[in-house]
Amino acid sequence: MATDDRGGAGQVGVDRLIHEPARLAIMTNLFVVESANATYLLQQTGLTWGNLGSHLVKLEAAGYLSTDKSFRGKQPQTTIALTPVGRAALLVYRRQLFAALDPISE
Amino acid sequence: MGRLVYSLNVSLDGFFETSDKRLDYSRRTTPTSIRELPLDRLCITEYSVTKTPVDERMTMATQLPNLKALERQAFAKFYDDGLFDLLLGLMMIALSLGAVIQDWLDSESAAFAVMLAAAVALVISFKVLRVRLVRPRLGDFRPGPERRHRIAATRLALLGSFVLGVVAFGVVGVAGGLGISPAAVEVLLPLVWFVNAIVVLGIMAYLLDVPRFYFYGVLFGLVGPLLIWPDVLWDVRIPPPLAFGILAAPILAIGTWKLVRFLKIYPVHGAPEPETNLGD
Repeated sequence: MATDDRGGAGQVGVDRLIHEPARLAIMTNLFVVESANATYLLQQTGLTWGNLGSHLVKLEAAGYLSTDKSFRGKQPQTTIALTPVGRAALLVYRRQLFAALDPISE
Repeated sequence: MGRLVYSLNVSLDGFFETSDKRLDYSRRTTPTSIRELPLDRLCITEYSVTKTPVDERMTMATQLPNLKALERQAFAKFYDDGLFDLLLGLMMIALSLGAVIQDWLDSESAAFAVMLAAAVALVISFKVLRVRLVRPRLGDFRPGPERRHRIAATRLALLGSFVLGVVAFGVVGVAGGLGISPAAVEVLLPLVWFVNAIVVLGIMAYLLDVPRFYFYGVLFGLVGPLLIWPDVLWDVRIPPPLAFGILAAPILAIGTWKLVRFLKIYPVHGAPEPETNLGD
């Protein structure tokens, strides 16, 4: 997990890999389903193909998600799913974020 | 386009270390990042403020996402294409067609065959349009376990409704033998129809998170009473096409509106660039 460990008292580390807005959008949209294809993620996140592809590569390299290439008839299909590590990392990130914002009063 | 985000862009006369020990000279950062930087290594030489339109979808995902709402929103989108509404409305029209055939040919089996053929054609068309129209626009996903249980429960409810319908019509067939008067059958059958429709479409509305199905349940349920009770109670016969048509019209109107809106809002995504390796 890529944690930001800079800073002194009051600083809470968050997973910088997930913290990036596009990757957070990808992770949260995958969290609420079992798996999805790339078109689903494209539509849900509003990213371009290139952007989506590069973020997926980074997340896959970190072990947060898996991609499976198959065919639906003659059509190639990319199925993407969060790994158990990725699901746990997102939940940890969410706790870190809540913890970081907790001292801020309404 | 959505909201605007104001970014504070700064030129930094200095460096800061990232968590993986790389030195990163940042020329553009957000106020949060600035606060994290050690002040003795930071010298802001210039700044500007730019406003950037932000895609609402990105904003929603980055603002402490409510995962339950996100799941509900993603799933509900697949019922916003209007296709199920059109299927339901056209099924009602198919039922009226059966009633017309029965009156015209005085044959229940002919009416049943027409209704069955129409229903099968509608279901096949629905599935084809889901693949051809919806999937290229919204993509495809496998729901999580809880949603899959809800979908399975919906299918059970539909099956139960079908079985109840068959049993009800069976009872009508043997009503005389059971000592039930024809008049009682004419009052009870529409009531069974009404309750069945309300319950089944209500269950679907609850399990699939599609509130307008409660309304459709009422419309669908009124078919039986509207066809039979005015005739039995006041000797006023409403022609089946009119009865079905009146009740199906709002469903078809909503379905058509939703479909047109869906096709406008959700474009077909072009093929991914080969280097992204994301063939779908």
